[in-house]
Amino acid sequence: MIRTIELLPGVTLRCYSDDRFKQEGISLQWVRPMCREEAALNALLPTVLLRGCQSAPDLRAITLRLDDLYGAAVGAQLRRVGDYQATGLSCSFMKEKYALSGDQVFAPMLAFLQELMFCPMTENGVFCKEIVESEKRNLLSAIAAQKNDKRTYASAQMLKIMCKGDSFGVPRLGEKADVEAITPESLYAHYQKLLRQSPVQIFYVGGADPEALAKLLRPAFAKLDRCPTALPAQTPFKDLGGGEQTERMDVAQGKLCMGFVTPVTLRDPGFVATQVFNTIFGGGMISKLFMKIREEMSLCYDISSSYHGSKGILTVSAGIDPQMDGKVRQEILRQLEACQRGEFTAQELTAAKQALLSQLKSTHDSPGAIEGYYAVSALSGLPLTPADYIRAVEETTAEDVAAAARQVKLHTVYFLRGAV
Amino acid sequence: MEKQYYPQVGETLYKTKLPCGLQVAVLPRPGFTKKLCYFVTDFGAIHTEFTMDGKAYSVPAGVAHYLEHKLFDMPDRDVVEAFSAMGAVPNAFTGYDMTAYYFSCTEHFYENLRLLLEFVTTPYFTEESVAKEQGIIGQEIGMNEDSPENRLFELLAGTMYEKHPIRTPILGTRDSIARITPQVLTDCHRAFYRPENMLLCVVGDVEADKVAEIAEEMLKNIPSPQVTAVRRWDEEPAVSTREVAMQMEVAMPMFHLGFKCAPLPDGEEGVRREIIGDLAAEALFGESSALYLQLYEQGLIDASFGGGFEMVEGMAMLTCTGDSEDPHAVRDAILEQAKHLTETGVTEADFLRMKRSALGRRIRNMDSFDSMCFRICAYHFSQFDYYRIPDIYGQITCEDIRQFLKTVINPDNMCMAVIHPKEDA
Repeated sequence: MIRTIELLPGVTLRCYSDDRFKQEGISLQWVRPMCREEAALNALLPTVLLRGCQSAPDLRAITLRLDDLYGAAVGAQLRRVGDYQATGLSCSFMKEKYALSGDQVFAPMLAFLQELMFCPMTENGVFCKEIVESEKRNLLSAIAAQKNDKRTYASAQMLKIMCKGDSFGVPRLGEKADVEAITPESLYAHYQKLLRQSPVQIFYVGGADPEALAKLLRPAFAKLDRCPTALPAQTPFKDLGGGEQTERMDVAQGKLCMGFVTPVTLRDPGFVATQVFNTIFGGGMISKLFMKIREEMSLCYDISSSYHGSKGILTVSAGIDPQMDGKVRQEILRQLEACQRGEFTAQELTAAKQALLSQLKSTHDSPGAIEGYYAVSALSGLPLTPADYIRAVEETTAEDVAAAARQVKLHTVYFLRGAV
Repeated sequence: MEKQYYPQVGETLYKTKLPCGLQVAVLPRPGFTKKLCYFVTDFGAIHTEFTMDGKAYSVPAGVAHYLEHKLFDMPDRDVVEAFSAMGAVPNAFTGYDMTAYYFSCTEHFYENLRLLLEFVTTPYFTEESVAKEQGIIGQEIGMNEDSPENRLFELLAGTMYEKHPIRTPILGTRDSIARITPQVLTDCHRAFYRPENMLLCVVGDVEADKVAEIAEEMLKNIPSPQVTAVRRWDEEPAVSTREVAMQMEVAMPMFHLGFKCAPLPDGEEGVRREIIGDLAAEALFGESSALYLQLYEQGLIDASFGGGFEMVEGMAMLTCTGDSEDPHAVRDAILEQAKHLTETGVTEADFLRMKRSALGRRIRNMDSFDSMCFRICAYHFSQFDYYRIPDIYGQITCEDIRQFLKTVINPDNMCMAVIHPKEDA
């Protein structure tokens, strides 16, 4: 179902042909190493590109153009996938067949997207100072605003402590000081570097013929003087210590975050069993953490675990009464130990497998999920198609799950609590 | 079931009203694996006053949400586990004017459907389990108190409205939920979870007639008491306090600005006014408006800015919200621009472009199972058929927008809530 076309060296187009939807979507991304030196630049770049191009020189002109294309949407896309940071633009637009007769959507949309990527507004040979400064302010407020959502904030703090030696600890939006240091010159130089040497991933979901699409996209890249540099392979978690930390803030509810490690990543054979384990442990409303700590003990409102397969990191996050901190930690570990001893019922195993299967089987029911699955697999190195993945889930046994659980070790604990 | 085809959007909808009183809507999605099913009652956080079989009831704030949590209890089995065994993920939400229970699955659809219908219509509340829920909902209230977006809206609604129950949080307060007993839950369930007050909506590749058949079989013996809920609150059109502020652990001041509008009637006229409200918001401060660009370039707003027309039974408001170092400057600029727009009007070309854009976005949105299920239900309770939306767009004129702005954007209808960063932080 996926058709992969190498447009030029280092420029890959993946097409998922599907005519069931009322919209089509395309994303165009530069793939970068996730590192402190680049994170802020990569985060800022697409927002500056979205401020104007030669035929639509300001925000209003861009929006008017999109309105004319039946309310098409173009947005910055910034995604962390293991050691990589993908940055670029993505757009979604209505299928032409719903337009008034004679109106075109597909071709003008594609042309506009390319113009935004490749023909930005410049002054004195670099990005416009005013635009760069304004988007820096926005990015700085987005970074500062992360503390508004305490749950996300607590997870990010925990990952920073846990991943001192790993790219996973680099904040997705970059560090404040690095954003402040960006100049129109430095951002433009970075942009030129991406145009010249960065691998590019393009993903399309829709009804157009892949070859016809390739034809429309190739010239823009062929014009560039490119000398693509391949990225280093994805690596497992690099451990330079972790520890325990408590931070105080004026909050009503405490946020407890625990980070665990496993040597198993999504590139390893034990991946699917680890995913099933995570689902039994804390992956949903029938997980051990939810059933025991919320339903049975009423110790929290929400609790869940997530498995970051690209790195082999598993995190548990809970909103709790600060007085209950010790009790909740102890119970989380006790539930992990139960999984390690294989103490889960056949029903728990079936339900976890069913939940994963349902999710996998509906991957192809939404354009967003399709893009998410295939674009992320391509970057992270997940070697499974949804069909392989489904089969592997079906074949996972209780012993596989317990063995996966035994690989999981506590690494870091972070607790955000009220001032008193 | 009655079949209706909407050629403009390429959708088919099956609808019927069953003998038991339940309304059913099925949106077929041939070729898709996922199935989504909503079972919804026309009962939400604002419905705390009603009469049933001649007796008047006044129930504590937060009861609709509390009931939503407790309905998941069954005498003989764990509902979530039972769904999970069939690969379904159940969930629920409580809004100001409706409560929805739903599941999505890829297999065992009809078994899951039976389970949904069964658990929602089986009240099982014990003293012990109702008391225990206080802890869980207390934590949820705590979580809400730490969310600046929620606090901001509650602050705005609580200040702008003097009578309409939107002034109280959906979850209720720690005091109000302490007064909820099994009897209160039983009364509300009896009053509002009768088939004729409910809707079943399915999106997916299923047999519409079979859905209807199962629903009738499962619900036919549920008694239907005579119930009338208070649904209109004679709220003053003007706002008495125009500004309210508090402090929290936030990075930058956050504001939520609201203009009080008259409540919308049911049916087509209501939807027409809703779309006029949406388009007026777009013309005034939408991303393609002159004002948005000006404020964005001045650094007074950022990408967090957004707004639109919001309505709940018995109330409606035009709002916008965002982060800004100077919320007052944003507010003043909006008032100024509204005045300008009511004088000059919107040009015909701009207006057509806005309509085309709004319609295109609605059509794209039709790919979303969740959004379609939700919209079919929400519009259903105001007696409107969602897929007739393109017709309504066709009827609206520039003059409608100008009139709307003239009536609504007025300092007397306006209130602004602001959350400032803590000074010591």
